[in-house]
Amino acid sequence: MGDSKEIKQENQEPLVYDPQYILMVRDLKKYFPIKGGMVSHVVGHVKAVDGVTFNLKRGTTMGLVGESGCGKTTTGRTILRLAGEKTGGDVLFNGKEVYDLTNKEMRALRTKMQIIFQDPFSSLSPRLPVGEIIGEAVREHGLVPKAEFDDYIDKVMDNCGLQPFHKDRYPHEFSGGQRQRICIARALALNPEFIVCDEPVSALDVSIQAQIINLLNELQEEHKLTYLFISHDLSVVEHISDTVGVMYLGNLVEYGETADIFKNPLHPYTKALFSAIPIPDPKAKMNRIVLEGSIPSPANPPKGCKFHTRCAQCMERCKTEEPVQKEVEPGHYVVCHLYDQ
Amino acid sequence: MQKENPNMHDIKPLEEDVQESRMADANGQEKEPYSLNDDRRVKVLSPNAMVMQRFFRNRLAVLGLIMLLVMFVFSFIGGLISPYGQDEQFYRYEDQMKEYVGVVRNNDFRYTSAEGQKFDTMMQAEFQLAVNEERDNFEHKGTIYDVTKEGEDFYSISTDGTMMAIAAKDIVNAEGAEVSFDVKYEALKAYTNEEESFTVNGKEYGLDEEGNILDGETVLGYVSRFVVSSASADVVPSRVFKEELEIAIDNDETEFMFTGEDGVENSYQISYDPTTLTWSVKQGKETYVYDSYASPNKAHWLGTDSNGMDMLTRLMYGGRVSLIIGFIVVIIETVLGVILGGLAGYFGKWVDMLIMRIVDIFYCIPSLPLIIILGAAMDAAKVDPMIRMFYLMLILGFLGWPAIARLVRGQILSLREQEFMAATEACGIRVSRRIFKHLIPNVIPQLIVTCTMSLGSTIIMEATLSFLGMGVKFPFASWGNIINDVNSAYVMTHYWFVWIPAGICLLIAVLGFNFVGDGLRDAFDPKMKR
Repeated sequence: MGDSKEIKQENQEPLVYDPQYILMVRDLKKYFPIKGGMVSHVVGHVKAVDGVTFNLKRGTTMGLVGESGCGKTTTGRTILRLAGEKTGGDVLFNGKEVYDLTNKEMRALRTKMQIIFQDPFSSLSPRLPVGEIIGEAVREHGLVPKAEFDDYIDKVMDNCGLQPFHKDRYPHEFSGGQRQRICIARALALNPEFIVCDEPVSALDVSIQAQIINLLNELQEEHKLTYLFISHDLSVVEHISDTVGVMYLGNLVEYGETADIFKNPLHPYTKALFSAIPIPDPKAKMNRIVLEGSIPSPANPPKGCKFHTRCAQCMERCKTEEPVQKEVEPGHYVVCHLYDQ
Repeated sequence: MQKENPNMHDIKPLEEDVQESRMADANGQEKEPYSLNDDRRVKVLSPNAMVMQRFFRNRLAVLGLIMLLVMFVFSFIGGLISPYGQDEQFYRYEDQMKEYVGVVRNNDFRYTSAEGQKFDTMMQAEFQLAVNEERDNFEHKGTIYDVTKEGEDFYSISTDGTMMAIAAKDIVNAEGAEVSFDVKYEALKAYTNEEESFTVNGKEYGLDEEGNILDGETVLGYVSRFVVSSASADVVPSRVFKEELEIAIDNDETEFMFTGEDGVENSYQISYDPTTLTWSVKQGKETYVYDSYASPNKAHWLGTDSNGMDMLTRLMYGGRVSLIIGFIVVIIETVLGVILGGLAGYFGKWVDMLIMRIVDIFYCIPSLPLIIILGAAMDAAKVDPMIRMFYLMLILGFLGWPAIARLVRGQILSLREQEFMAATEACGIRVSRRIFKHLIPNVIPQLIVTCTMSLGSTIIMEATLSFLGMGVKFPFASWGNIINDVNSAYVMTHYWFVWIPAGICLLIAVLGFNFVGDGLRDAFDPKMKR
């Protein structure tokens, strides 16, 4: 409970909107309450997102990587206001604080920010035909006149590699890749500016992954889309992203240009993570950094730097003092005491 | 349940495809006709059509459906076809033997005292003694009375030449006005001596063979040994009847027919009881009674019940009532259950808490005792049977919703966390549309299965209550209160047609609902592949 007060005091000066960024996120926090005890009161919080700060330029793709359970998905959903109220921080979308909007304004904004889910099987309502799934929100928001509605849906489906006759079919009749195309079509039909791609290819096999990623790239060029591409697949992220953020236990530990991050990872965790990328050459020698121990519980994260329990370069101050984000090189941010000098 | 799906297009013949695709060639580009493995040639089935297909593949489910159809046709159309009303009573004529008159052959002396004379019981006793001892006089209070035997069982008593009384076993019955002593005396004398006429005070009277005393043409009275007394006050046996009866008794007949003055011929049974020396005569009268417990016949294919109502017709109307009650109760249950369960599941938190506690409380209510008490209360308040039926539906509906609320809540809780619900939120779709277009259609399969099953159990519940006399009341029929007619072992063993057909109807309807419910459950659950 003390945490929330702290957060409110921290963010007193307002975040200044910079028009080159479609999305500005500062110190975003999302805690989930843990209920327990006899009368089911809150006994603690799972700190799924615990201080994430980044800015996303228009028309670019930001990759968000990290191991399972580090809060990537929650970050994506919290930005879209899909996970209930945030615990703290700011999310500025086109300069507007997303969490300050009324329900009506929020509904209008929904057309501008969309999401593609990880599981193409559970993200499509099984009892609606595909045309209805794609067109429902378009009709709901009145984006196109009624007369043009069918043509519009056909066009969107065509863009996503779907045939017009697929409209009357039901999700269960499609393969995983086609379903993901339907999901993309659903998101795209609203003509959004920003799409959170929540591991859109992790449930698909490799050849289909390539198709979908190429489709996303084409659509980005065509519609000037901005992506937040969440994935644990580093090679995919390297391929698609302009910038990359690395998350560990709810924190964005490193953030910068894709080339910078992959060539010159700064944070010890990033180094360890990238050392695990397989090299498709049997003769190549891999310098793997193997992390010891397992990821701590996000309900009870370590004090100081959250990574200090597994960090090879752990210093005394890491155990007590929480590091803050620093711009080590231009556009390359890291959260680590090693770069304080 | 849901709108019909347009996507049931069959595989098109190839030529048509060619034409179609040529027509579609607007840009002049050559388009290939559908190849054999083209996607568009595949028959597309909506989820509902697939459910239907699976359902109709299940033989037991189809059997159940047929059973239900039969019951529906029987109940709803049968009632219209049946020539009888549900509470139309039938009557029949029945010969009922009823005690009519009692006849006694007179074996005692009957005394008639002369005008102005007294012949009291003491004197009668003295006279009796004298006759028994074959004396020709007796003494009473110092007076000598002379006894003169006038004929068989006929004596006259006189003193000093003055006629005191006559004693005879034959009786002079007056017809109309009282017959004077002298006439009686002379008539008896003539009757004993089998004379055909006698004279009293210079006036000639006739006496015919049947003992009628005639004054010219008018019958003054008649002489007879029989005393006919009616069994009840409203019976006045006529003179002719008495004569017929005497002849019958004389001939030792046990039965005779007699046509009364109203022209109705009745049969009479005569039975003699030697201990009381009486003949009791019973009149066989055709009585108009309810045609109850008539065995199956041409007019009533399944006989009649205890109230003389056509069994088959009542079964039809009873089925109507039972099915309608079942449906309305389930509709009430479902509406309440879906609304409350949906609210609890969708909004969660305190709403869920509140509604689920209400559900828990409803689960604690012992429904049968409650309904029995309410039924008794309605009995006491003399609630109209029609209104009572509505109350019954409401009560059963209000007691039944918690199960459905729980089901819906559970389903919605699990569906709410599915990604497609997050997707609807991300697309900014209205809450109402999210609930009714995305949540409810996904709950409906389980709901249909539960409702179908609970239709069966509701019908059983209704039958139970009606059987106990707490449910549907006369004049309305229901399968339960038809069986309620069986209130003794005698009825059960002798009038099978009262309860077996109703039991079979109940069995078929409930079994049908259960089969269909099972079939639907299997059809909705794709994992149940058989």
